[in-house]
Amino acid sequence: MKKSQLSVVITLLLVLTFIFTNVLACTSQTPTQNKPLKIGFCIPLTGIAADKGAPIMHGQLDAMKYINDELGGVEGNKIEIAWYDSNYDSQKATAIVKKLMEDGCLFFTVVSSKEMSASKEIANRAGFPGMVCFSAPSCTHPPQHIYAQLPDYGDDWAAFSRYYLKNIWKGQGKPKMALELLNNSTGYGVRDAARAAADELGIEIVASEEHSATTISETDALTRIKAKNPDILFISSTPTPTAIILKNASDLKMIPGLTVACAHASFTKALIDLAGKDVCHDIYGVYPTVSWGDNVPGMAKMLEYGKARHPEYTGNNDYMIGWASSLINAEIIKQALKTSSVDALSKGDAAAWQLVEKNGFQNVKGYDVGGLHGPVDFSDPVDKRGSKSVKIFQIKNGEMVALTTDWVDAPNIKYENLDWFGK
Amino acid sequence: MDTLIQNSITGIAIGMVYALIALGFALIWKSSRVANLALGQLVLISSWFTYGMLIQLKFPFWFGMIMTIAFAVLLGWLIERLALRPLIGQPILSLIAVTLGLAYFLEGLTAFIWPQGQGYLPKAFPQESIKIGPATIQQELLWGAVISLVLFILLSIFFKYHKMGIAMRATADDQLAVQACAVPVTTIFSMSWIFACIVAAIGGILISSIAAINYGLVETGFKSFSVVILGGMESFLGCIVAGPIIGLCETFGGWQFGSSVKELIPFVIIIIVIMFKPFGLFGEERIERI
Amino acid sequence: MSLPCGTRNFSYNTDIAIIRTKTQWVLFILFLLLLFTLPLYLPSSWFDIVNSIGILLVAIIGLNILMGYCGQLSLGHAGFMAVGAFTTAILTNSLHLPYLASFFCSGLSAGLIGLIFGIPSLRVKGFYLAISTIAAQFIIVWILKNWTDVTHGANGLDVLQASIGNFVFDSEAKQYYLIFSIASLSVLFATNLARSRIGRAFIAIRDNDLAAEVMGINVFNYKLLGFFLGCFFAGLAGSLYAQYKGHISYEDFTFQQSILYIGMLIVGGLGSSLGPILGTVLIESLQKGLTYWVAPWLEQTVAFLPTGFSSGLNLMVFGLAFILILIFEPRGLAHLWSLFKGSYRLWPFSY
Repeated sequence: MKKSQLSVVITLLLVLTFIFTNVLACTSQTPTQNKPLKIGFCIPLTGIAADKGAPIMHGQLDAMKYINDELGGVEGNKIEIAWYDSNYDSQKATAIVKKLMEDGCLFFTVVSSKEMSASKEIANRAGFPGMVCFSAPSCTHPPQHIYAQLPDYGDDWAAFSRYYLKNIWKGQGKPKMALELLNNSTGYGVRDAARAAADELGIEIVASEEHSATTISETDALTRIKAKNPDILFISSTPTPTAIILKNASDLKMIPGLTVACAHASFTKALIDLAGKDVCHDIYGVYPTVSWGDNVPGMAKMLEYGKARHPEYTGNNDYMIGWASSLINAEIIKQALKTSSVDALSKGDAAAWQLVEKNGFQNVKGYDVGGLHGPVDFSDPVDKRGSKSVKIFQIKNGEMVALTTDWVDAPNIKYENLDWFGK
Repeated sequence: MDTLIQNSITGIAIGMVYALIALGFALIWKSSRVANLALGQLVLISSWFTYGMLIQLKFPFWFGMIMTIAFAVLLGWLIERLALRPLIGQPILSLIAVTLGLAYFLEGLTAFIWPQGQGYLPKAFPQESIKIGPATIQQELLWGAVISLVLFILLSIFFKYHKMGIAMRATADDQLAVQACAVPVTTIFSMSWIFACIVAAIGGILISSIAAINYGLVETGFKSFSVVILGGMESFLGCIVAGPIIGLCETFGGWQFGSSVKELIPFVIIIIVIMFKPFGLFGEERIERI
Repeated sequence: MSLPCGTRNFSYNTDIAIIRTKTQWVLFILFLLLLFTLPLYLPSSWFDIVNSIGILLVAIIGLNILMGYCGQLSLGHAGFMAVGAFTTAILTNSLHLPYLASFFCSGLSAGLIGLIFGIPSLRVKGFYLAISTIAAQFIIVWILKNWTDVTHGANGLDVLQASIGNFVFDSEAKQYYLIFSIASLSVLFATNLARSRIGRAFIAIRDNDLAAEVMGINVFNYKLLGFFLGCFFAGLAGSLYAQYKGHISYEDFTFQQSILYIGMLIVGGLGSSLGPILGTVLIESLQKGLTYWVAPWLEQTVAFLPTGFSSGLNLMVFGLAFILILIFEPRGLAHLWSLFKGSYRLWPFSY
């Protein structure tokens, strides 16, 4: 073969590769007619938040399977899911939300506040509505197109402070509170709420310590806290560091004695497993759902699917949150379908997003989510939180016991009116 | 005064645990000049394997430990054989990049086999804390410090006096010369990786029993990186000394400047040390000639 | 078709030219045409990948100048990108400077910070200098995290999209043109730098810095220049990234990112102009392809998979690809390409 022939062959190969990749790309796009109703999930399935991301995703997917198979979809329309793993990385989360916009999704759901903080700007610019399971004040303030499924960590703090002042505090004047915060939006939500509302509520914050997710001992921070003689210790973190804090506090003989409360990021069964029943005794916690196995209408179905498909998550309230979030997603679509047509929505473009937000999200009022968590209301233009209430629990003998039978309201703190907010 | 002692003891103990993982890095650097970027993931996968042995398969404690050590040996041998042997003699940067690929691979393998994201080990040590003077310390941390010290002494003796240890040090200096002396360089690399994996496994078990098994182990691995750097990359003595120094700086820094400064301190120290002692506290000075 | 075979140049200009024959010119112009008309027929979901490749390309070119030509291992590149990103965010948001001005200021600020962290090169070299860059990474991120008055800490900063006068780059295609113009200019700059006096000094330092010093090259100055240039490009890339993503926070620039950039550069091939391009394209497309196409496809086609299957598989395949490429060609893909070119020229005598 001569040189010129070889070069012809190579040029042909290059051209063929080029055509092939283009064809592949074009066929990978779904055709524009007959698109089903599609929603997107961005989930931290791997990486440091995997212990929360995994159960939530399975709760979401199992509930969607239940809705599509047993209930026949929403008003007869099946819902299609596009989900991607963000590896708890901000860059990936933003790229995933962009992809969901291009995939033609109606709206998206994100698990953690870090992913939502990273991607909310893109979503808000395009008017692409989204819901976040574990929120932080910065996601929903100032209110645009992002909705929170549950109250955020700042709300936990406010709710518990109210409960404490009403039911536990027996001294004079202001009780002294110390904060142990994870050094990301989980902890900073509480820090911002405390800064905004502590004076108003009547609490004095005497110490505020931060820790990282990989800490292996908090004895030094707790020694500093102990020196300030607080009445309450409020921890906003994930289960592993919280377990370490509790164990260290027990070593320093701070508990039993001190009132300790945890925000909902760490108040799960994993905490009891890691820290041990003895250390966890009498610890308070705030959680936005009912206990696993409580007698509410929506529990039976969730237990059935959970046991059949993911028995390893039995007792894991994050699975319940994921299940509930899919129920809410279905309700949003149901409300949207009351006033918009399936065709208009299934286009998944900017017009569809506006429709689903106006007619879907903002028409969800008082939806009870099968009683699994507080009633969801997205209609308030200023308060973008769905469920606005929590329950206060206490750990007794390794079990989380609810102290309040009714839901405790966590009223909206208007952060955007404070000039230090966002900094 | 009380807080001073409390901070010191906690700091030293934490630092010793970091130093243990740092030993693994120093081992590989000492024998083959490869910076092992997969350190955190090695710790992670060994801890998960222990979890699998003890919790999922419910083997008794000592048997589980032996299985984990065996797994670490196998892992080290496999890594060296499959990923590093083909690259003998290639530029060092390629080897470092291969360890990077290895890190991703191990992380994926962990997510594949144990997708829970979080696990915990049964407590290996008694849970009550001991009082040393006015300070309280958890027994687990104390045991961790003791085990690190013992391992350090063993490894130092090995490297100084045992034939294989001397061969490892020689290989670090000049691979070709060692090959010319008829010492099997590949066996030496295998042994260094095996040791490193064993040390990583032990460090992982210690940390996981204090905290839990999750991705955070990888980030603790990065913290040990700064211990290695401070102490000098190829010196075990450096690791054991630098570890407590970094632990102490963390606790004291947190006390003086507030807890957000904790993370910064090791790196500021590194920059300061580099300006005065470029090869770390105990590193070997390399003399170059044209 | 005639291709270069042996040296037969008649003037200095033709001797040092990059593009030597008419064929090469034709191919080059075709390639440029292809590059700049790509947005017309690229499917819309590909824009995200292509644009991120473009942004990363600028950063990796900077890293190539520092690591490939000058030989200084730098493990803090993501930190310098962060400096550039935040400079742009602050200048456009608070001081309302036009985008191009803040673009250059980002490069300058990142370059200056890189200069500061390059000062230890007076005392240390090799991997120990790399340590200074690791420290740079963590210190920069820590400052960005805790200087909350300016950087808003964990909440991050929102950045407006780039605009020149009244023309706003608000669509993916317009961003594409912005990003790839800058990327092409960077490639041109880096290639010419390598052929200039400065580039030759860099390469001398990389090969043996003692000998270079003896020959009269002021090693310290050139090392600092290398740091400045490398981090300048990182700053430019960071600026592009900030206005592209719209929201930045200190969490976007992690140590793992820095390590990944090194990996990209090594896989692509150090010390050549083609290396960064190949490395970035390959690794970034691999990452995105695995996350967006392979994983969901697996989930849909194979019915009952164990839980961590697809996400674990992503990482495993990615790591495996890394390892295999490096085992196959430790000097990187650019070296493979030059071997291929060599064998093509000498064919059928290419052994």
